[in-house]
Amino acid sequence: MKSPLLIVGAAVALAFALAFPVAAQGVPVDRKALEEKVRALEAKQEETTKTLETLKASVGTPAPAAAHAELQRQLEAIEKQQAETRAALEAIRKEMSQRPPGPIEAKGLSTKSFPLFGSSGQVTSGTAFNPSISVIPDIVYYRDNVKGEAGEIVEEADGFHGAHAEEEHGHEHGGMSQGFNLRETEIAFSASVDAYFDVFALFAASEEGLEAEEVYFQTRRLPGGFQIKGGKFLSGIGYANAQHPHQWDFVDQNLAYELLLGGHGLNEKGLQVNWIPKLPFYLRAGVELLQGENEKMSNYIGAEEFSGRTEADEPRELSYQSGPRLFTGFLKVGPNLGYASALQLGVSYASSNTHQEVHDHDGDGNPEGVLDGTGELWGVDLVYKYDSPREYGAGDFVFQTEYLSRKRDLDIVGTPDTAVFKQDGAYFQAVYGVLPRLQLGARYDLAGLTNERVRAGVKTEYETSKRWTGALTFNPTEFSRIRAQYNRGEVFVGGEKETYDQFFLQVQLSIGAHGAHKF
Amino acid sequence: MKKSLLAAALLAATVPATAALNVVATTSSMGVLVKSVAGDSVKLTILAPPDRDAHMLQARPSMMVALRNADLLVSVGAELEIGWLPAALGGANNGRVLPGTPGYFEAAAQIELIESGRAADRSQGDVHPMGNPHVYMDPPRMADIAEALAGRLASLDAANAAKYQAGAAAFRKAVESRLPGWKQKASGAKGVLLFHKDVNYLTTLLDVPVLGYVEPLPGIPPTAAHLKELTDRLKGQKGAVLYTSYQPGQGPDFLSRSLGWPKVRLPLEPAVGASAEEYLKHIDQWVDGVASGK
Repeated sequence: MKSPLLIVGAAVALAFALAFPVAAQGVPVDRKALEEKVRALEAKQEETTKTLETLKASVGTPAPAAAHAELQRQLEAIEKQQAETRAALEAIRKEMSQRPPGPIEAKGLSTKSFPLFGSSGQVTSGTAFNPSISVIPDIVYYRDNVKGEAGEIVEEADGFHGAHAEEEHGHEHGGMSQGFNLRETEIAFSASVDAYFDVFALFAASEEGLEAEEVYFQTRRLPGGFQIKGGKFLSGIGYANAQHPHQWDFVDQNLAYELLLGGHGLNEKGLQVNWIPKLPFYLRAGVELLQGENEKMSNYIGAEEFSGRTEADEPRELSYQSGPRLFTGFLKVGPNLGYASALQLGVSYASSNTHQEVHDHDGDGNPEGVLDGTGELWGVDLVYKYDSPREYGAGDFVFQTEYLSRKRDLDIVGTPDTAVFKQDGAYFQAVYGVLPRLQLGARYDLAGLTNERVRAGVKTEYETSKRWTGALTFNPTEFSRIRAQYNRGEVFVGGEKETYDQFFLQVQLSIGAHGAHKF
Repeated sequence: MKKSLLAAALLAATVPATAALNVVATTSSMGVLVKSVAGDSVKLTILAPPDRDAHMLQARPSMMVALRNADLLVSVGAELEIGWLPAALGGANNGRVLPGTPGYFEAAAQIELIESGRAADRSQGDVHPMGNPHVYMDPPRMADIAEALAGRLASLDAANAAKYQAGAAAFRKAVESRLPGWKQKASGAKGVLLFHKDVNYLTTLLDVPVLGYVEPLPGIPPTAAHLKELTDRLKGQKGAVLYTSYQPGQGPDFLSRSLGWPKVRLPLEPAVGASAEEYLKHIDQWVDGVASGK
């Protein structure tokens, strides 16, 4: 009969042991005492304040001089007392604030939690190491007056239509259907890897899937103003090139980039080194070694054979070239213009040792043209920003312009002839904060100021395509944006001028922790 | 031209390391701290002027230049500069002033913040869950920060350690000598209406209640309905409307008229290059503003 008693006893002891730490973790005695003291002092202060009010009121009423003096004396005494109470309260509050907010262990009393079998817990930072994550949905309602074909018309623009993508990208920034569109949702992650590297990853999610738009590392602490970036990233050439769609001032990419580099600009795998020398003004110089997969100026198909069209029916073969095939350099300069204004000027150059095109317009697998050669691009850019002291972006002004020139120097495979294409494009855009949170934007862009092909010594010139854009953007907060935009395009297709009108209504939202934007 | 530029670049790169520390302060209040603690023995650059909202700035190339050349960055912190400082730092290629290194000093990290631990929920406006970042409106906290800054400067430049300690001590003394006067002036003030949660450290210090905000939510401009709600609630009470030079005047004007309260518009931070004395004068003006609601 002894053992059940023992068990009960042990159980009771266990229960106590379990309960004890909980009880001990309640509000400790001295803190409680302090709190009581504060309450008492506060009550006292309230009381004196009341007396003071009555006294003050009676001081105001007419009374014999002696009585008045007496009252005045009393008043001063009470005021002094009140000041003392306040000081005492202050001291206690300060003391309390300096104590750790949690339970305080009473001296000599162990309050360690259940020690019998050892803790099975884990000291962990949980999810605190998670990177900053942001999700940016982009929803567009779209109309045009050419049965939804405006995007296609731009792609067919004279002189530019040759180098279009062979379904390389599952998603497009330009082509939209009439009605509702869910454009790519940007999902971005960023964090420091360690003391030496940061990582940034941005995935463009569409209804078809996820695409790694940017995934790169960046060094944190190279000396001498150097920084190395590696992975897949938006090249540092130009100004608009490194911007994601949510940073654009308009719904769509400008015509110069769209036609000379594609909707994503130069977005390549590779390595960038950039350097900021120690100077009193801003200067950044950078060079990049890139894989060379840009469909517009550095397209690579590889050593493929195509059946011949020559009389001898010799196969036409494209050359093999291992990467990296694209090399770029850029230089940006920004004079110091004080707090209100900022200016940046840039020059860029890109050269690809391989650019290959296969034209099989009838789709019979027996292409009309197999072209193999090199691509080259240079550009200049200028950005001016004025930051107005007015509220919520009113009065802010940004002017941005770029000029890009591209040359493709290609052999017509299977013939002794060459085809040399020279094209360029430019855009001018300005955004002004007309009212708090409301921006008015205007853009004029053109492609093909120079627009020529020299094939087998014969030069053909094409017309210049143009577009005018107006946009009104409302930013309810810095995390949301509603934009209405109108475009009028004049694009030459097959020598004929095609005009179209486009209307966009865009809602862009940013949730999560999104990094600050570069200049 | 090209040659001389290159020569200039080389010259700049070979400046001896014994030159005065290059200190970059994000705002003019942080500049005051640097100046008070270090005087003229460091070279000071301030990134944001007091007439712009430090929440809303954008990174500029000139910020990157300043940060590229900096030995120490003094920021307000608590995510006040989150919209531009990380980008400016990212584009400055200077690992010595990144958060976590001895070259990075965040004022908010030196002291205890008020209003911390609130929900990180943007439906509540542009909130700061880590606490109210506008610590520069609290002179005693600034004195604590100055002491921490003196320690940091001393660790970077041991030769001047005594000077930095003395600078911080003088700053504290100046604050302490003014504190009773401020408290006395503000005692009995019935309360203030602020535009944004930017003067709360001062009202807490002076023990004056904040009766409301002109903004319906942090970062959202005032609406007619919200102003009416404020007027209905506060009619018959006494107080003052306080707002800063970069905040719009219509809301405060309306409230001042309909409540019959004085309105006071002041820059939130002192002028660029201000000394400790000028900073304290600037706080004097704010105290007068808080005290005007009696």
